[in-house]
Amino acid sequence: MAILDNDGNRILAKYYDKNVFPTSKEQKTFEKNLFSKTHRANAEIIMLDGLTCVYRSNVDLFFYVMGSSHENELILMSVLNCLYDSVSQILRKNVEKRAVLDSLDIVMLAMDEICDGGIILDADASSVVQRVALRTDDIPLGEQTVAQVLQSAKEQLKWSLLK
Amino acid sequence: MIAFKRDKKEEEDGGGNPFQNLEKTTVLQEARTFNNTPVNPRKCAHILTKILYLLNQGEQLGTMEATEAFFAMTKLFQSRDVILRRLVYLGIKELSSLAEDVIIVTSSLTKDMTGKEDLYRAAAIRALCTITDGSMLAAIERYMKQAIVDRSPAVSSAALVSSLHLTSVSGDVARRWANEAQEALNSSNVMVQYHALGVLYQARKTDKHAVIKLVAKLMKTSPKSPYAACMLIRMAYKLLDEVDEGEELIGFIESCLRHKSEMVVYEAAHALVNLGRSGAREIGPAISVLQLFCGSPKPALRFAAVRTLNKVAMSHPAAVTACNLDLENLITDSNRSIATLAITTLLKTGAESSVDR
Repeated sequence: MAILDNDGNRILAKYYDKNVFPTSKEQKTFEKNLFSKTHRANAEIIMLDGLTCVYRSNVDLFFYVMGSSHENELILMSVLNCLYDSVSQILRKNVEKRAVLDSLDIVMLAMDEICDGGIILDADASSVVQRVALRTDDIPLGEQTVAQVLQSAKEQLKWSLLK
Repeated sequence: MIAFKRDKKEEEDGGGNPFQNLEKTTVLQEARTFNNTPVNPRKCAHILTKILYLLNQGEQLGTMEATEAFFAMTKLFQSRDVILRRLVYLGIKELSSLAEDVIIVTSSLTKDMTGKEDLYRAAAIRALCTITDGSMLAAIERYMKQAIVDRSPAVSSAALVSSLHLTSVSGDVARRWANEAQEALNSSNVMVQYHALGVLYQARKTDKHAVIKLVAKLMKTSPKSPYAACMLIRMAYKLLDEVDEGEELIGFIESCLRHKSEMVVYEAAHALVNLGRSGAREIGPAISVLQLFCGSPKPALRFAAVRTLNKVAMSHPAAVTACNLDLENLITDSNRSIATLAITTLLKTGAESSVDR
């Protein structure tokens, strides 16, 4: 699973099989290769190095999901869709590099919720987002104190309810 | 806090990537702030994100560095901030293979996994299982069994998937937890069902008769989850390779051709055409489904269908001839892989007359 930018550089990538690309050098070579094959054609699916890769792009981002060539392509597709949709929901629609980097922590958590050690953990974008989008909006400087007060009040209320 | 906010703003105004020019040593230095009390969640989360980003970029950490960062990170358990806590779990998982003495967080994680907050519990289970070794397994077994049958699907899934990973630590984990997995199989959540089936299969993998029984039982109540259904088809497919009789199994796979999820339909068609024993009669329905997929607007579906047809064309060229017209349409497909596959398939099935066109 990988997210690359429009120069083919890695923003986030996760490799689940230590046997396929054991070193980060091999991984990056593969990513460059993959990017050069896919960045112009909007073809959704490609075979590369014996792997089935499905991909999707938006503005300056490329999303990839790779799997063995014996894998059901539609299952890979469902993972890709989930990744893309969750990122887009987390970023509230403007799916671009800038926004991903700003919410990098949340996107990392989302990737972690989608796939665990190569096993699909969840393929439903809305439930993934529900599990990770915990932060209230980034707060502008001026309103911060008010919002903080509200937040702490909310938390106190929650804790008292839980007891 | 405010100063930090401003720093971040400045970075952003500068444009470019705020994570671009990170130095490993600087970031690890910053990680020392984790030791400060009280914890500043936002700042620490940002630093932790930087560490995770560096690791993700393929930066190598030495054992010493990793261990130091790991221990600094454990201090963050004091904070109640949700995001920070989740990032710590992620950090534990990433550093568990690099740092030493990672079992130090066992008790913190066990506490989180038995706590009230569902969002913590699922993630804590997964983190805990990455640091668990054979000797610790017994200590967490009770909690794991409880988690597998938990009401929350997230917790249940996390526990099931983790037990699959734990098989590499101790081979009989899946078998010991099979009863709980059996119960989880009845879950209405599609993912839990899928993961439970995975664990059950892992538990019985070596015992052919047990697998037959499991498959036979599930065939009757065809699982709702498309992922579980795909897996069941694969199990049935594997059994068909090993046993002599199997009319029921073939019947089941055929019935999956009418499943409402394309994923399952394709999996079934794929299995049917690849069965060594099937003749033209058996693969007929599967071929017609693949033929339909050839006209799909989704490239992945067309690709899958053509690739499968390409393979069948080797063994049953006659059966694929029926799709020739559809394949010819795909020669001009915008996806080059699809076009290439279509051409090579046609070369295997086509007669001279069609080559001209």
